[in-house]
Amino acid sequence: MPLAFPYLGNFTYVMEAIARGMKRDDLILPTEPTYRTKQLGSRHASEFVCTPFKIILGSIIETIERGATQVLGTVHVDFCRLGYYAPLWKLILEDLGFTGDVIFLNWFDKPEFFRNFKMLCGDINALQAFQAFRLGWIKNRYVDLVDELQHRYGAIEITKGSAKAVGNELYQTIVHTKGERKTRKLGRLIKKTFKEKVEVDEKADPLKVIIMGELYAVIEPAINLYVMRRLNDLGVVAYTPITFRRWIDLGYRLNFLKKKQHEIAIKLAKPYLGHRLGGKARESIGTAIQYKQLGWDGLIHLYPFTCMPEIISRSILPQVSKEHDMPVLSLVVDEHTGEAGFQTRVEAFVDLLERKRNENEKNKVK
Amino acid sequence: MQRVGIPRALLYYKFSEMWITFFKELGTEVIVSPRTTKKIKFDSVKNAPDEDCYSTKLYFGHTLALKDKVDYLFIPRFGSDHHTYVGCPKFIGLAEVLRSLIPDLPPIIMPHYNKAKSGHGKFALFRKAYKVGLNFTKNPIKIIKAIFKAIKAQKFHYKTLIIDEQTLHKWERSEVLLNEPPILVEKERQLKIALVGHSYVLNDPYSALGIRSSLQEHGVDFITSEQMPRNLIDKQMDKLDYDLYFLYEREILGTIMHFIESKTVDGIIHLMIFSCGPDSIAGEVAARLSKRDPDVPLLQLVFDELTAEAGMKTRIEAFLDMLRRSEDKQTMLLTAQVHL
Repeated sequence: MPLAFPYLGNFTYVMEAIARGMKRDDLILPTEPTYRTKQLGSRHASEFVCTPFKIILGSIIETIERGATQVLGTVHVDFCRLGYYAPLWKLILEDLGFTGDVIFLNWFDKPEFFRNFKMLCGDINALQAFQAFRLGWIKNRYVDLVDELQHRYGAIEITKGSAKAVGNELYQTIVHTKGERKTRKLGRLIKKTFKEKVEVDEKADPLKVIIMGELYAVIEPAINLYVMRRLNDLGVVAYTPITFRRWIDLGYRLNFLKKKQHEIAIKLAKPYLGHRLGGKARESIGTAIQYKQLGWDGLIHLYPFTCMPEIISRSILPQVSKEHDMPVLSLVVDEHTGEAGFQTRVEAFVDLLERKRNENEKNKVK
Repeated sequence: MQRVGIPRALLYYKFSEMWITFFKELGTEVIVSPRTTKKIKFDSVKNAPDEDCYSTKLYFGHTLALKDKVDYLFIPRFGSDHHTYVGCPKFIGLAEVLRSLIPDLPPIIMPHYNKAKSGHGKFALFRKAYKVGLNFTKNPIKIIKAIFKAIKAQKFHYKTLIIDEQTLHKWERSEVLLNEPPILVEKERQLKIALVGHSYVLNDPYSALGIRSSLQEHGVDFITSEQMPRNLIDKQMDKLDYDLYFLYEREILGTIMHFIESKTVDGIIHLMIFSCGPDSIAGEVAARLSKRDPDVPLLQLVFDELTAEAGMKTRIEAFLDMLRRSEDKQTMLLTAQVHL
């Protein structure tokens, strides 16, 4: 029974690594969402459901067209709609004539979770499954590292596109590396490869912009129209603290010595937004304050159309921006977002940051 | 005497009895904003964030209407009053968004209450209410008395609003009426309809464009999703693959599923609000389930600030005409149900 999962930006590589570790070789890998994916999703989803739902649905329909019969989805209880995606897919796919299974993974119902998980695994025992999962989360760290370096080197590279090419090569290396010891050595390899293969302008002092917002809108380049690469092309370093590490990396979660970024952000956001309300609402506000203190130049806040929690943080961000002198650009993205308008806004924002920096330097000289 | 303002929008329609009784017992003057008018809607659309749902936008207008008349605003940050199911995130963020967007508001009393997601325990409601009470009086007995009276009032409200199963079956057999008797149309049978939606849409004649009265004018008796017995709704929810976890959406979807299954009404009208998050999920599930069992027609109407009254009325009239035309089939179904 070929297994399929939706496309989730660079996390797809981690999912692939985990699934291969669990001896599932009958994978139907999702492809990058295209115009057709968006169209398929919007046609079959309800009118004002949030954009991630539409694109993920389109992505799943595409994998089913290519022969998948097992679809993976997670369910949970939260203030967000994300927890109810999978049951709704099931209804929609059934109406479209899909006869395979939609498998719900519900972490809050442990017995059922492990029963379903066992069904998904190949012929392996529990220890091997755990090892595979562990290898998955270790690989996730390196995928994050490649992501970070790619968008740092991308801003100051001399031949455009070289960092991206190196990054794509390294993602494949990460997926195909076998064994823990070899995987652990990847960190050094990644740093070395970037240093050797990407020629950089040593004197450059690029602007630094943080990307924050709703999980899917940030990690999925097809919906945010490659905003990180766009910033790189304008000569700006882009970085996002959002990764899947927070959920799947048990080693990172249990490490009480290390302060987690989202915990610091939530603490800083307390005067503006005191309580949990789903999504990344509090983190978005906290990150703006935190990275101002770290000396970053601006924040781009991305969220999909009709996202409930992020609308709240978007309404409060102007106040935070004013009080902490941190430029914030809020961008709504959905399947109809036009490329030209998006580019213009990002360019204008970068111009504004540049002017602000120049003025600050002038004042310092005086 | 201190004046406390409560905007007449969103959760007001669920908990008004409790809130008003509580503040009156504390010896304050309670000022509720007027019913939604054209001016309030205009103010709302002008001041609220663009992407908010229509009902949340109306909250801004109601708050602005109260702004200069009160000493305190009461806007609770309400998560959920069930240990598993959650409400809408906008209810939690609303007070802080208002404080941030409208700078010169009077002080906002914003207790946070959330039982779900390993939130507050058993006596949290009491503790939070006590803290609110301390703003107005130092007398603990007075506060405790007010809390008990408020809870009692809310319980009484639920008791009068929610009907029991026997009454529901009687209504399904057309033995009793639940609302004021509708004006009968000549030579036409009286129709029965389930009117489903959020309480802040059903009870606000302006945002639902007076759907209640227009249904009564057309000779229709209706049951709302608020009135449905809770155990029936829970029974329907068990039939889903995975429990729907939005507290007020369960009410809506449960009612629709109950009537799709029992086939005891002529039709179902589902009132949706544009860009309401939970509605987009429950509405889609309802539409898909109704398509699979199409005996009871389902009409889904989406409202926002641009919805025109004439268009909406035409659609409702067309729907009712369609129901009347399929009368023969329906009567057969109805009698079959009764004899079983």
